[in-house]
Amino acid sequence: MPSWPALVSQAFNGLALGALLALVSSGLTIILGTLGVLNFAHGALFAVGAYVAFVILQYTSSFVLALLGCCGVMLLLGILLERVIIRLFYDRPDEDQILVTYGIGIVLVECLRAAFGGNAQRVPVPSWGRGATQLGFLIYPTYRLQLIAIIAMLLLGLYLVLYRTSVGLVVRAGIENPAMVGILGINVRRAFLLVFAVGVVAVGLAGMLYAPVVAVTPDMGANFMAQSFVVIVLGGLGSFPGAVVGGLIAGEIISLTSAFNSSYSEVMLYALMALLLVLRPQGLFGSEGRV
Amino acid sequence: MKRVRPGGLRACLPEFAVLVTLVAAPVVLPHAGFSTDLLTRVLNWGLIGLGFDILFGLTGLLSFGQAAFYGAGGFVTAYLLVSGTLGSVWLALAAGTLAAGVFGLMVGWLAVRRIGIYFTMITLAFGQMAYFVENSPLSKYTGGENGLPGVPVPVIGFGQHAIRISAGMPMYVLFAGIFFIGYVLARRIVRSPVGAVLKAIKQNTGRVAMLGHNVPAYKLAAFVIAALYAGLAGGLLGSFQSYMPPDAFSLETSGQLVVQTIVGGAGTLIGPAVGAAVWLWLRDNLQLIPGLATLWKLVLGIAFIVLVIGLRRGICGEIFHWWNERRDLAALRAAEARTAAIEATGDGVAVEPEHQAVDVTLPLAAPATGNSDIALEARSLARHYGGLKAVDGVSFKVRRGSIHAVIGPNGAGKSTLFKMLLDEVSPSSGEVLLFGDRVTGAGVSRAAQLGIAKSNQLNQLFLNLPVRSNLRIAALARRRGPLRLDLLRPADSLPEVEQQVDAILKLLDLAERADTAVHILAYGEKRRLEIGMALATSPNVLLLDEPLAGMSPHERVATCAFIRDIARTRTIVIVEHDLDAIFGLAERITVLYEGRLLADGSPDEIRRNQAVQDAYLGGLHAHEPA
Amino acid sequence: MPISGGCTRMSLLEVDRINTLYGDSHVLFDLSLRVKQGEVVALLGRNGAGKTTTLRSIMGVLAPRSGQIRFDGKSIGGLPPSAIAGMGVQLVPEERAIFGGLTVEENLRVAALTAPNAWPFDRIYQVFPRLKERRKSAGRTLSGGEQQMLAIARALIRDARIILLDEPFEGLAPLIVRDLVEVARNLAAEGRTMIVVEQNVTAALSFANRVYGLNNGHVVFEGTPADLSANPGLMRDFLGVGV
Repeated sequence: MPSWPALVSQAFNGLALGALLALVSSGLTIILGTLGVLNFAHGALFAVGAYVAFVILQYTSSFVLALLGCCGVMLLLGILLERVIIRLFYDRPDEDQILVTYGIGIVLVECLRAAFGGNAQRVPVPSWGRGATQLGFLIYPTYRLQLIAIIAMLLLGLYLVLYRTSVGLVVRAGIENPAMVGILGINVRRAFLLVFAVGVVAVGLAGMLYAPVVAVTPDMGANFMAQSFVVIVLGGLGSFPGAVVGGLIAGEIISLTSAFNSSYSEVMLYALMALLLVLRPQGLFGSEGRV
Repeated sequence: MKRVRPGGLRACLPEFAVLVTLVAAPVVLPHAGFSTDLLTRVLNWGLIGLGFDILFGLTGLLSFGQAAFYGAGGFVTAYLLVSGTLGSVWLALAAGTLAAGVFGLMVGWLAVRRIGIYFTMITLAFGQMAYFVENSPLSKYTGGENGLPGVPVPVIGFGQHAIRISAGMPMYVLFAGIFFIGYVLARRIVRSPVGAVLKAIKQNTGRVAMLGHNVPAYKLAAFVIAALYAGLAGGLLGSFQSYMPPDAFSLETSGQLVVQTIVGGAGTLIGPAVGAAVWLWLRDNLQLIPGLATLWKLVLGIAFIVLVIGLRRGICGEIFHWWNERRDLAALRAAEARTAAIEATGDGVAVEPEHQAVDVTLPLAAPATGNSDIALEARSLARHYGGLKAVDGVSFKVRRGSIHAVIGPNGAGKSTLFKMLLDEVSPSSGEVLLFGDRVTGAGVSRAAQLGIAKSNQLNQLFLNLPVRSNLRIAALARRRGPLRLDLLRPADSLPEVEQQVDAILKLLDLAERADTAVHILAYGEKRRLEIGMALATSPNVLLLDEPLAGMSPHERVATCAFIRDIARTRTIVIVEHDLDAIFGLAERITVLYEGRLLADGSPDEIRRNQAVQDAYLGGLHAHEPA
Repeated sequence: MPISGGCTRMSLLEVDRINTLYGDSHVLFDLSLRVKQGEVVALLGRNGAGKTTTLRSIMGVLAPRSGQIRFDGKSIGGLPPSAIAGMGVQLVPEERAIFGGLTVEENLRVAALTAPNAWPFDRIYQVFPRLKERRKSAGRTLSGGEQQMLAIARALIRDARIILLDEPFEGLAPLIVRDLVEVARNLAAEGRTMIVVEQNVTAALSFANRVYGLNNGHVVFEGTPADLSANPGLMRDFLGVGV
């Protein structure tokens, strides 16, 4: 039995990881819900975000600048991908969409490898995030706390966009019935472009924010993508609240399990998914909907 | 009528071609940059690919988790050998393959419950789970990140005469032999009744279930077959490189298999091997070119995207498609011309001045079970959607051997009621009895096995298969039961089924169209085939949902005569909007209105019923205060 | 507009010999109809006659294989539904297609987004007071009648120049049907142009000025409700009534 401080510390780790997964998964889930496309390039885009941070932070020490730069690059990349490739696939079968995004993922990862090599790169923790913070009986790395806060703000921002703006309204309506949105005079394809770009920005920012905590490699996103699949199966496909709650649950499961036996941490996550598939296949927040 | 019974040398052409290629490859291909080791690797990938193609190319289930079974087979084999538990590589291979199959059974049981995107995500997630299980909890046995070194090579014979199959050419010969056997088996599976059902599942899963096949079980069978192939390939990998690497379990491995299959051509069986040849050749040969060393996978990725966008059939698929198209062009043009001619006259039937009753004594399974006089009974059936009561407590009985019609204005609940009769939709309350046996709660394929079949309002056909194959898939259902794994017999080798298909082809007046792909047929022909599909399951009770929808007046007359013919041997329940046709056909009519039973009686009684007339004139009429 | 040239009573909507296929079946055969400004036209016919397909063809949800559709003199055939809606054509589909996860008010806001002359909410709530009571409720919690009101309200809030009502009374309780008929009568009296497809003939005829009878994808009757009532044979032939 681990000690209480160790448990609490792991719970914080779980929160940080969970927040990250929530951000990655919400990008995945709104793209899936609105466009009907399961984005297999999501892991590669996570890595692209991390490398953008790596590049920008080599020239400037401003984390805020890196954040903005990352937003811009990911937005452009998202628009480019949607305009050039993804839009050709809206009327094609699911499997073709999966295959082409998987191909995009390969190309992105190989571009990163060609540009930066396969070795792990380090991204510095921003100056204001160094050291540790005293939390009662627990000492915890400051940056991870800030990570939680920044992601919470980003998710809040995404929530406000989805639930408080006209664009969000169209997206939520589009997740339910894209055809009817078109009948009501809204150009759905234009909304699709926006949703895809927003999803790409979300996962890119996640990669960027996580870069200081881990080794940055071209393949770093693959495992996150697999985990975010589990998250959206947990939360229900296409559900933004599902992605957030599912992400936090997944993060805590991984972290808390590793407090007991680290070799089972990831396995537990997948075991939970198996269990849920049997008991509640539509996920926590899902309706049968499009799937 | 011409029946080409495939057989002899021509049917074995693909096997022969593969054999020749396997023999010629190590002689010819080294000059093109394929070393013997490379060819052996290609065959290893090709072997997993054979199983994967049955799962993906044939059944349409895209798995991103095949690495789990490749790794499981590989590590079980390697562990049994390295730990000394088993001395024989052959036995260890068998054990590893079996282990992968059992693992496939467990994962598949969960995964085949979901379709499309869900299925892909679930297989990917279980693939990752296997990777982590190998990496940590089981690292004591598997060596974790280090893998298992020192896997011995197979030995043939005993004692002094034993031959070790060493690296290089002997290993290639072993792999080629196993690949060839695997290929022959896979082709048998594709051509078996199971293969026919799997192919149909890819095109229209719902209809396969409605015909009475146990769809999840067949999908699971395909999943396990794929796992077995992957497990065998994994086991061989360890022997081949005398080391079992942990990355056999990685997501990369699953992805590489998918890419190779698409590049080579899904649904062709050899496609994955061809794709592997492209992949491995690029990797080994582009690396030799200065400046391209790190870019080989980028090149491959771009090529892959282009293939998915434009040439979705892959290398072999495009070649076969071009070949078949050229060969069948004349027949295709003739079939299309006939369709155009039929549609130009507006009739789907050859003009018969006087209808002659067709003998419908089909070589079908004995129709009626039980000796009750009531074939089908609905007992206070109800179906509520939220607050909406689509059907609200409807009871009626269908007398055996009669034509019973269900009518009612739009929104009366006819289609919901109809779906409940064969348990396509499960009722909120009430039950359906077929000759006294409860149908409700059994599910649609069980209902079909009990003897209820339905022809649908919108055609649900296997559009890319010929007419004969469509009917065969229907006829196989009750003949073979919900599930039978007769993997090695040809699909067309059941004489009773073929007789039945021939009889129905004749009855439908589609004998000349037997080998035409369904999507080429004229609309009226498709409508007839839709009814024929239901009939081919030799049901006791046949449900016809708007059989006349979209037909020309002439076709209507012909179809009504056809329905009367069928009715001489089985019970028919019919929903139709063409009331003139109904009053001409039905012996008894049930009228629904706003989800409730409004009237039930003979055509004359219904004709005179004031409430029915009011219902058809509109609800307001009846309810408005005077 | 060259077409409007010397024409004094120009049609707002003209459907000119369209042929439409649904899946593999040919549903509409050279179907033509005209709707004048301020007119309410009922499309009647048995199930499968092609009424819904006609509305979906006008809205651009289905593309006719041949033929012309003109709205306000401009050809709209081949345009996507969003562009056709932008010109003031609004389909209220048979299945209602309410956004279940959005509230009543959000459903209305989505509809109003791209409408240049969107009604204020209050005007909608005057027509449908019930929707005001339920304005914060999620669409999926509404009863069938409320969903239908919301579906019509989404067309009204866009101030659509022509509303295509597909089976608005289907599956609803008689009292609710009566309320909705009342609303439809008022809209007709205000001069709103509508096409209504309905199995409930009495209800439809109570506010329609003109009737097209459809059978097997052909127009088999054109006239006023009075013409139709005077001809029970027609009623029977293409409505399947009376027998």
